[in-house]
Amino acid sequence: MNFFNIRLCFLAIVFCVSCSAEKETRSIPVEDFFKNPEKTAFSISPDGEYISYLQPYHDRLNIFVQTTDGKNVVRLTSDTSQNIAYYFWANNKEILYLRNAGNDSDLGLFAVKKDGTDNRKLIEYQNSKIGLITPKAYNNNILVSLNMRDSTVFDAYRMNITTGKLSLLVRNPGNITEFYADSSGELRLALTSDGVDETLIYRETEKDDFRPVVKNNFKTSINFLGFSKDSCIYILTNKNRDKKALVELNCNTGKEHQELYSNPQVDVSEGSYSRSKNKMVFAGYESWKKERHYLDNDTRDMYERLEELLPDTEIKITDQDSSESKFIIRTFTDRNPGTYYLYNIEDNQLKKLGDINSSIKQNEMAPMKPVSYKSRDGLTINGYLTLPLNMPEKNLPVVVLPHGGPSFRNSWGYNSEVQFLANRGYAVFQMNFRGSTGYGKSFWIAGFKEWGGKIQNDITDGVKWLISKEIADPKRIAIYGASFGGFSALHGLCFNSELYACGASYSGLTNLFTYLKGIPPYYKPYQQMYFEMVGDPEKDADYFRDTSPIFHTDKIKVPVLIAQGTKDPRVNVNETNQFVKELKKRKMPVTYILKENERHFFKKPENRIEFYQQLEKFLDGNLNKN
Amino acid sequence: MKVQKQLYRKNFSLIITFLVLISVSLIVGLMLAYNLTVKNVENEFASKKIDVLDQTIGPYNNFFQNKIPQISFYQGFLDSGSVSKYADTLLSDFPFIERIVFYDTGISNHPIMDGIRVNNFSMGPKAVYQFALGIPKDSIVLFKNSNPNTLSLNAGDEFNKMAVKFAGFIESADTSSALSGEDVFNISYSINSKRITYMNIPRTEDLRIFKDLMFNDQALSPVYEQDLITFYLDPNKLKIRNPHPELYKNIEIKPLVYESLENTPEEISTETPLPGAFADYKLYLSSPRGFLTREINTRFLPVAISLLSIYVVLIVIAYLIFRNLNINSKMFKLQYDFINNLTHEFKTPVSVIKIAGNNIRSASQLTDKERSHYGKILDEEADKLNDMMNKLLSFTQIENRAIVLKEEQIDLEVFCQNLVDAYQIRHPNFNIHYKIDGVTKFKSDPVLLGSIFQNLIDNAFKYSSSEAKELEIAIRKLRKNIVFRFTDKGIGIPGHELVNIFKKFYRIQSQYNQQGSVGLGLAFCKELVNFMNGTITVKSKEGKGSEFRIELPYES
Repeated sequence: MNFFNIRLCFLAIVFCVSCSAEKETRSIPVEDFFKNPEKTAFSISPDGEYISYLQPYHDRLNIFVQTTDGKNVVRLTSDTSQNIAYYFWANNKEILYLRNAGNDSDLGLFAVKKDGTDNRKLIEYQNSKIGLITPKAYNNNILVSLNMRDSTVFDAYRMNITTGKLSLLVRNPGNITEFYADSSGELRLALTSDGVDETLIYRETEKDDFRPVVKNNFKTSINFLGFSKDSCIYILTNKNRDKKALVELNCNTGKEHQELYSNPQVDVSEGSYSRSKNKMVFAGYESWKKERHYLDNDTRDMYERLEELLPDTEIKITDQDSSESKFIIRTFTDRNPGTYYLYNIEDNQLKKLGDINSSIKQNEMAPMKPVSYKSRDGLTINGYLTLPLNMPEKNLPVVVLPHGGPSFRNSWGYNSEVQFLANRGYAVFQMNFRGSTGYGKSFWIAGFKEWGGKIQNDITDGVKWLISKEIADPKRIAIYGASFGGFSALHGLCFNSELYACGASYSGLTNLFTYLKGIPPYYKPYQQMYFEMVGDPEKDADYFRDTSPIFHTDKIKVPVLIAQGTKDPRVNVNETNQFVKELKKRKMPVTYILKENERHFFKKPENRIEFYQQLEKFLDGNLNKN
Repeated sequence: MKVQKQLYRKNFSLIITFLVLISVSLIVGLMLAYNLTVKNVENEFASKKIDVLDQTIGPYNNFFQNKIPQISFYQGFLDSGSVSKYADTLLSDFPFIERIVFYDTGISNHPIMDGIRVNNFSMGPKAVYQFALGIPKDSIVLFKNSNPNTLSLNAGDEFNKMAVKFAGFIESADTSSALSGEDVFNISYSINSKRITYMNIPRTEDLRIFKDLMFNDQALSPVYEQDLITFYLDPNKLKIRNPHPELYKNIEIKPLVYESLENTPEEISTETPLPGAFADYKLYLSSPRGFLTREINTRFLPVAISLLSIYVVLIVIAYLIFRNLNINSKMFKLQYDFINNLTHEFKTPVSVIKIAGNNIRSASQLTDKERSHYGKILDEEADKLNDMMNKLLSFTQIENRAIVLKEEQIDLEVFCQNLVDAYQIRHPNFNIHYKIDGVTKFKSDPVLLGSIFQNLIDNAFKYSSSEAKELEIAIRKLRKNIVFRFTDKGIGIPGHELVNIFKKFYRIQSQYNQQGSVGLGLAFCKELVNFMNGTITVKSKEGKGSEFRIELPYES
């Protein structure tokens, strides 16, 4: 009896302990953050009757098809050697797919019927790359670009999807980089490039010759969105303006017909084109998060209805049938990787298709807050701060996470890396330093030749701002990044060593000379562009040497973690080895994760998991000392 | 009485053997230590040259392993300006670099005048520069391809060697796999005597392109940049660092074939070849024999000192053990004497009692006079025995502190008078006086105090000639103490015996103590006085008399 009581007490204590522990943040296993989704790449058939998706079969992604009610699941492919890289509905009956290009053998374009029969190879060409101009068939034809004739040049072909017969459509004189077809499958637009300057060329019909429409420098951009009427096209461009705008361009005159939308703060980042309406239905822009400016009332109504059905979450349409009545919708927030739904506009009904990552519980994720600060020269830098749950917003250990690129931006939304770090108790600080995209041309160009200069100052200023706000514990700040972010991390450790307790670089650039050497010299204009963006390795040799971390290993005074794939085409593994060797010679603690056969980013799941486990251990050992 | 030999013995041969043995050990130890030191120094002379080599060649290794590969960091983008900076730091940091020649190299399929061409693969210098400390500005540029055919054989020598090697590699290279460490070394380095040539490591893509250039006819290609740098080194400018100045007196860098001509046995030498580009040279290290002997002695000295000090400590311990043994043997002798005396003392009364007993038994009739005579004899002799036994008993008791003081007020006048009276009855010729000054009463144990008095009075009587049996007892107060002084006119005590008289069982050999003395009296007195927290001292002149002085704490 007595013994029984004691056991009851013990159970009560255990229960209490576990109760209180639940108020703490649960440490979610690394695997849960970085696992691949079960079902991905949802697509809907043009008639809206079938849903297709990729799902692992014997550890390889294969195509599955089901009816919209979720029944009659059929596996179309049985590939046990490679993943299916991409697929699309060519028509209501057939799906075309590409196998993963990671392995060199047995590439090509394949077709299969939606019941899994008649699986056949359409294009078998071992050493060529296949570009898809129209991910949709018109009259049983699709348009592809292939480099059969010359490995450096892609010609456009029209291919019969039943027979696989190719007919040359445009012989590329060597400078065409993109082909665009109109909504009837006619190839009428192309982009030529000499590597730096681009020219849009247009023809009224396939029988005419291409004429140049508009020319622009690499500093401005033209993104084709869709054909309008009267020889007009919809484009996103920042030609003659700082922020990208949604513009209708007259291809006959080369003049802007009208500006549909522009935002004074940020670039317009996307435009949604409706094939059925033959017009733009909204312009998307990204302030602190992605937003829409509607250009069509029906679309506005639909999104408003969707927002009622799915409150407190962001919505994105990923696919739709040809009548635009059934949609595949993806939701997401900063704390939720999201879910795929099927939406039927007629009965306003949603049907859940699958979670991106069902292991992630929204209430265990940390909110991502937009922040902004002033750089030392007065520029406003926007960023995001993700604070760990259940911790006071004071004196926190911080992981500074500069993004790669640098022509890239951090966006608001679910980020498994950020959430992983926040779950381990670190505040995660991301910033869109100058040179980031999305904030206009001049902000982007401000980062030119400043890779080791003002860009790094912007990062440093951000960290100092975070310290002045007393959010960061100045003794517990780490800097971690991948690619250019890794360069920034190593640069920070070399030149702002007093700021950081440790740093980690994942495929980080260590040497700007090497980065530029990667640009083939036969592409002179291209090389010139990089010389303008990064610097001229001969004329700016001093600047390169002064800012490349590999020349300054002696300045690193804190522990470093370096991850590197041996087949990284952008970072020379010999140099990373040399870098690590010199640190080790100076008895600096270095964690070096070198993975055979990995390229710029680790592909193998076990390598990625190992990297994050090592990163966790590394940060834990160097930031949680007190 | 026969002393049993095995009870106590001194074995001098043992002591001598011990001394001889440890002395021999000492000598053997010293010899061994000396030999070891000699061996040790000789071994170190042969082996520590590695340290000298390491330290001397350290800057070269740093230059070779860290500074040279840095050229690759520039990925072929070096030009005369950046090389000049690189060269300046090297030339000032590493004095053994004599000259640096930089070949700004281009690889293409263009026909060229200078350099080498294999099929369509051309590798030629676009310009050649040299750098050295203090060379005139106009001799920096050795060649520019704007003046073709001017590259001198001498200036182009290293370049040609590397270019031929590189072209050979390209010809047979497997461009599908990454470069191995061995390939990198083969392509990028050429290490000759006093010269190192390095070319930045080409990337795998570059090798593929170069191979393409070599075997395929193509339109004019762009010019791919490679950097080739030759370092001319002077081994004699290597700074010799000697971390072992105690071993090596002279260290020189000599050609590999050098041998000392003064091959005297007085000088010992060793050598070690230099690595890498200095492989034709060696470090030649030598020291005169005397130099090493000094080092041997310096190292041997502390060893010898410690051995000697261990020896000294052993000797001291041996002496102390010997001394203890000696004292113990003296004690043993004293105890033996005591037993001897004691037996003697007991023997006299016992034999008197025995005679009296015999007489009583053999007499058929005893007169009253006879009976009382024998009775008196028996009584007296029994008293003597009793007295002796009491003394022994109380002595051991006092020694073990087994008795308790029974203090009471003593009237000194009465106390002294009683004693004097008792003695004068027994020995009418014994002249005792006493004198008491400034004190009448004294708190103490009367029995113990009486014992002290009795012993001292007995002694005074015993050790006096029959015509000078006189004793003066003086008692007075001195500050917080009371002093008793017993002055006799007896035989006195020889000066060298004064230290011994208070020892147990000690007796001065003299005619006065042939009988009836066990040598306990004064020792007993001293124990009593100590027990009563006092002191006892003696002053004496041989033949004139002695004075015993007792000081006891006066408690009133």
